[in-house]
Amino acid sequence: MKKQNELGKKKTKKTWIAYLWSAPSLLLILLIVIFPILYTGYISFTNMNVYHWTNYTWNGFDNYKDALLVLDNGFIAALMFTVLWTVVNMVLQLVIAYVLASLLNIKNLKLRNLYKTLLIFPWAMPGYVSILLWKTGMFNSQFGLLNQWLVKAGFEPVRWLAGDVIAFVCCTVVNLWLALPFMITIIDGALQSIDQSFYESAKLDGAGWFKSTYYITVPMIKAIITPAVVITAFTTFKQFDVIYLLTQQVGAKTGADLHTILTYAYEKAFITNNYGYSSAISILIFILLIGLSTLMNRQNKRAEVDE
Amino acid sequence: MKRAWSALVALVLIAGLFGGCGSLNGKAESGVTSGTSDSTGTAGTNGTDTKEEGPVTITIWHDKEDAVAEVLAESLKTLEPDIVVVLEKKSNMTEALKTVGNDPNVAPDMYFFAHDKIGVYAEMGILTPITDILPAEELSGYMENTIKAATYKGEIYQLPIYYETLLFMYNRLYMKEDEVPATTEALYDYMVENTKGGHYGFIEQHSTPYYAAGWINGFGGSILSEDGVPGLDSAETIAALEYHKKFVDLMPGETEYATVNTLFNKGMAHSTIAGPWLIPTLRDNGIEVGVAAMPVIDKTGIAISPYMGVQGIQVLKYAAANKAEAVEKVLRQIMDVNLQVELALISGCAPASEACYEMEEITSDEVVMAMKETAEHAVPMPNVPEMDVMWTVVGNLLTDVNMSGKDVGESAKEAQKEAEQLIENMQ
Repeated sequence: MKKQNELGKKKTKKTWIAYLWSAPSLLLILLIVIFPILYTGYISFTNMNVYHWTNYTWNGFDNYKDALLVLDNGFIAALMFTVLWTVVNMVLQLVIAYVLASLLNIKNLKLRNLYKTLLIFPWAMPGYVSILLWKTGMFNSQFGLLNQWLVKAGFEPVRWLAGDVIAFVCCTVVNLWLALPFMITIIDGALQSIDQSFYESAKLDGAGWFKSTYYITVPMIKAIITPAVVITAFTTFKQFDVIYLLTQQVGAKTGADLHTILTYAYEKAFITNNYGYSSAISILIFILLIGLSTLMNRQNKRAEVDE
Repeated sequence: MKRAWSALVALVLIAGLFGGCGSLNGKAESGVTSGTSDSTGTAGTNGTDTKEEGPVTITIWHDKEDAVAEVLAESLKTLEPDIVVVLEKKSNMTEALKTVGNDPNVAPDMYFFAHDKIGVYAEMGILTPITDILPAEELSGYMENTIKAATYKGEIYQLPIYYETLLFMYNRLYMKEDEVPATTEALYDYMVENTKGGHYGFIEQHSTPYYAAGWINGFGGSILSEDGVPGLDSAETIAALEYHKKFVDLMPGETEYATVNTLFNKGMAHSTIAGPWLIPTLRDNGIEVGVAAMPVIDKTGIAISPYMGVQGIQVLKYAAANKAEAVEKVLRQIMDVNLQVELALISGCAPASEACYEMEEITSDEVVMAMKETAEHAVPMPNVPEMDVMWTVVGNLLTDVNMSGKDVGESAKEAQKEAEQLIENMQ
């Protein structure tokens, strides 16, 4: 009994020491992650705006009442679009990244490192620069490379970002260009972690490429790539820059009417300089994301239990 | 040893975390010479408190090109040693001022910027009327339009230096002087005749509010009135949008700056409406650019009336209260007519002071005089805070009408409703 007590005390002491060593990191997280969220929450209950910059007062749930008006048909349409955008991008990212990572792992592949460097290149460039390069260098109807090819081939030039469907395809291409390096790197690493003897045994048992992939590769890389997939899914869900810079930028609108929940909230709230109101919208989107995150975690846990 | 080392690292990390929270309060900057510096962050330097002995430092934030800042700095050096002026370049000044404008430790004493944000900062309570420092009658020598631009709710908040308006420009290689259209219908005929084979008779950023405003104002419509009321569904604005559309149909689909200006710059467009800032690049590229008066809209008899932006000095409240004498001296130095001429010419804009137009170097400048002519019917860009939401709403309206082919009347009504809702949400 006494020994058990001593063990318990030792464990408590160890836990406290662990917390102590983690304190600087926790403090940093508190300052740069938790504090801004709490402060945004606080501002969302005030009337802080251009007219009440320093003399703002508490106004309860007024901003939330106004913010819920933003969640109108336009918001629902934007939410639906965001879900579609996320699903299409995630499926394409996983399939393309898997194919490319598999190709990179072909035995005796020459210039493997060169290919890897080239594939990682889009990641090294700032997203803003990449997006605007795509916009002016590829999609521009006057000077873009795509139209130059079309005209040389005898076709009429196309306004690539003018219609909703065609702009959606173009935005997806740019998003894939930006996101694939990360996914390829993760899947490539995961593929390399699989012991080759599994494939050799499967081959002896007569399994082909499809069966090896389905029964060996996918189950073995699933646990490794799941966090990356979850992170990328959220990054895609809260996408702003690709859609905004390609189609919505003030002074450079293209005619496409694509809106994710963030570009929609930006046009309906953030341009008003009403910080209380914008904060309330941010908190509502934050709650939505937390809800989705919880849902995804539960799904993952359920899938693990089923396995 | 390992533990001691870890503890030391942790301590340094914590100290580092809080190191940035230190106050700059009362930190003197004596010894800083007049000149310019670059900064992209929000933190600035305020300078010496007047209660301290020694020179008074006045910090001016600006977003101007280096040549303009250098001319200004050189002139303000004459105030030394009593007053040391530091010009600090800010890349994101509007946001920086919102963040630190009421913090005397980091805010500047003045800033050199366009007039259109005056309403926002006046409502935030960080600006002082310029007439609190200079008698109002001393501003009577400035062009009426520039003083109107600097006025918000009856108070003048800016000392104007120079202004800019859009100009009608043409490529002399394609458009001869006698072909320059005097009216919009003549322009349309020219466009029909010359828009072919990858060439355009006329181009502009047709679906960008700043450019479309000229057509709307020329019809007697408005994007936003002086007191912040949107005018998107007025009969005049709708008529302007409907009339403008036939010109848009003969222009490229893209409306952004890069495409439009590159087309003109590469000699693929015969004429354009663009800002004076484009002229040096055009000349460098060998384009023989001509500048003419804006075409008169046949239907109204009024010329295309673009927005006018006035660049000048605004004074922050803290500086006006604590460094009044130094601030006044700096303003008086900036009011020097020769300096205003030099600043206007180097920036490619037109001086705000009427006295400058009696000087040879101004009257002989074709671009400046064209701007003066355009300014006679130009409309100062609204400086009320409500304008912040109008850029997006009008941008969407123009895109709907010009690029998506939606009905003008219905789109205008929807845009008006949205603008009113957003303005209500600002409060």
